[in-house]
Amino acid sequence: MRPTFEGIEGGLGRILAVALRVIRQLKRDRRTVGLITFAPIFLMVLFGYALSGEMSGIGLGLVDEGGQEGLRGHLEGVDDFEILHLGSASDAELLIEEGRLNGAIVLRPGQVVVMLDGSSPQIAASLMDQVRIGLERPMPLDLRYIHGYDLEMMDSVGPAVLGLVVFFFTFIVSAVSFLRERTQGSLEKFVASPLSRPEMVLGYLLGFSVFTVIQSVTTMAVVVFVFGVPMEGSPATALAVVLLLGAAALVMGAFFSNFAKTEFQVVQFIPLVILPQVVLTGVWWPIQSIPESIRPVSSILPLTYSSEALRAVMLKGASIGEIMPDIFALSLFLLIGFVAATLALRREVG
Amino acid sequence: MSGEVLIHTETSNDVAVAARDLVKWFGRLKVLDGLSIIIPRGTTYCLLGPNGSGKTTFIRAIVGLIRLEGGEMEVLGRPVSRVREIVSRIGYMTQHKALYPDLTLQENMEFYAGLYGIKGARRRARIDELLDMVDLEDHRRRLAGDLSGGMYQRLSLACILIHDPDLLLLDEPTVGIDPRLRKTFWEYFKSLTEGGATVLITTHLMDEAEKCRIVGYMRAGRLEAEGSPEEIKRLAGLRPSLRLWVDDSRATADLLVSKGFDVIEDGDALDVFLDSFAKAGTVLDLAQPRDLKLVEPTLEEAFLRLSDDGRPR
Repeated sequence: MRPTFEGIEGGLGRILAVALRVIRQLKRDRRTVGLITFAPIFLMVLFGYALSGEMSGIGLGLVDEGGQEGLRGHLEGVDDFEILHLGSASDAELLIEEGRLNGAIVLRPGQVVVMLDGSSPQIAASLMDQVRIGLERPMPLDLRYIHGYDLEMMDSVGPAVLGLVVFFFTFIVSAVSFLRERTQGSLEKFVASPLSRPEMVLGYLLGFSVFTVIQSVTTMAVVVFVFGVPMEGSPATALAVVLLLGAAALVMGAFFSNFAKTEFQVVQFIPLVILPQVVLTGVWWPIQSIPESIRPVSSILPLTYSSEALRAVMLKGASIGEIMPDIFALSLFLLIGFVAATLALRREVG
Repeated sequence: MSGEVLIHTETSNDVAVAARDLVKWFGRLKVLDGLSIIIPRGTTYCLLGPNGSGKTTFIRAIVGLIRLEGGEMEVLGRPVSRVREIVSRIGYMTQHKALYPDLTLQENMEFYAGLYGIKGARRRARIDELLDMVDLEDHRRRLAGDLSGGMYQRLSLACILIHDPDLLLLDEPTVGIDPRLRKTFWEYFKSLTEGGATVLITTHLMDEAEKCRIVGYMRAGRLEAEGSPEEIKRLAGLRPSLRLWVDDSRATADLLVSKGFDVIEDGDALDVFLDSFAKAGTVLDLAQPRDLKLVEPTLEEAFLRLSDDGRPR
């Protein structure tokens, strides 16, 4: 059929009908509304207090490009240092900028580069002392000061956890909702109605977005106002990232619901889909500290991009233009998830 | 499936569903085994048959829910591969509980109205009319999940009628509905067919099948017998009979047999089978009974007989 104005208008009407229905259903499900709005706040408060201490020890990045075994051995032996082995000098620079490392040392044959976070002079001084002690023979040091933050751990983790929380709840609620559509037989009825599968998924996206906005705003407010995590960039940009992530979580939930027969089986997706994202996407520790061999896995997980984008916006005041690669990656997850969810619905019947 | 046109366009206006040689496998089970069936427009067509005979599969095939492995089918003049183009003219009531238990009756109906682009005053009028028809007007603000089985069924029916479909597919629609309301339903179905709509219904209730213009008897994925309820009874070898109490049963029996009637002696009573009621007068003239009773076969007997034998007699 050729798309006509009437056809498009009809499609829009059906999408709105689904959206309104989803909103009405969720609104009536008090417990789920509570879960969506208050659980993230509760979790943030919990994480916030658990992580509000100053980072213990001095985070030192080490990039070993050969030579200088003596200095390396010495630095690894200093109790106060928490050493993170990194692949490149640029990784080290980035992590100092983000306030996740106090400094980094690049070891090369015949050359030592020392990068220091200029915002904490005392730590910089103690780092320099240790480098001098560790050198087997005096050599010129290439000293660079990098502007970083004096951050509490919550500042660094908060923006990423915001994404994690939204992803987690949206994914689960979406997977259960789509599972119900199938088990209660309404899906079969839709096939015999003018509602197309893409329209159905779009209707869900629209309906859920209302709750994702509420969830994102409340959680973000707790992160910023209660725990004082900086919001250097535009809150609207941060919200856009969270909404995009929420939309990706929704279509992924819809897709994965095809592999569950009961709500109990949906819960089993938590270790399968959620946990890898908790561990491998740089929410808690820098992605650069994850072994190279499993890093490709990180690149196919949406939270990797939302964590990066939210940190950039909230901590460094990045504009939407600067986080375009992340926006693009999240849009790609949304698109692939949307197509997969739609196709899976098709496959289900018959 | 071949591209051959199943029905000529001149006649397809009179046919709601035309199926020929439909084949569908579920794993190693052949659920439709060369099913051919014609459902004329503006009729109530009832599909009977034991569980697993393929009734529901056939209905699901009509709306494009399953892919057929063989045969061809036209629905409202469209090949079944293009059924989505006319899906808004079909109302399909599944055996599932396909409504949303966490929405009120009104909200459920509004949702279905939205899917069919019915809005504003027309939506309000339609919802009022249908809730009244299924006798749920007073419950419109209740949650669908709180309804009894029968009420739920009534709401399901109201929802699929919201868009005034030309073809109604009802898979066991009256399960759990009390007789008074069933009567209302059937009156409504009748008014729909009078308006040109077609109703295809599956049921286990013989009194409902009796109300249909055509009854199709399915077994093992085929249509075994088809016709009006009277014709089905005849197909099953069932004829109306007269039970007569006479003084000399032996002599009367001989007389009737000599005139070509089938007679069974049962003590002092005789059962005389009639090809048509027109012959009843002749029988009474010949036998002069003290007393008599007219015995009419039920569709249930016909159905049981067809199920037992597998083949109509």
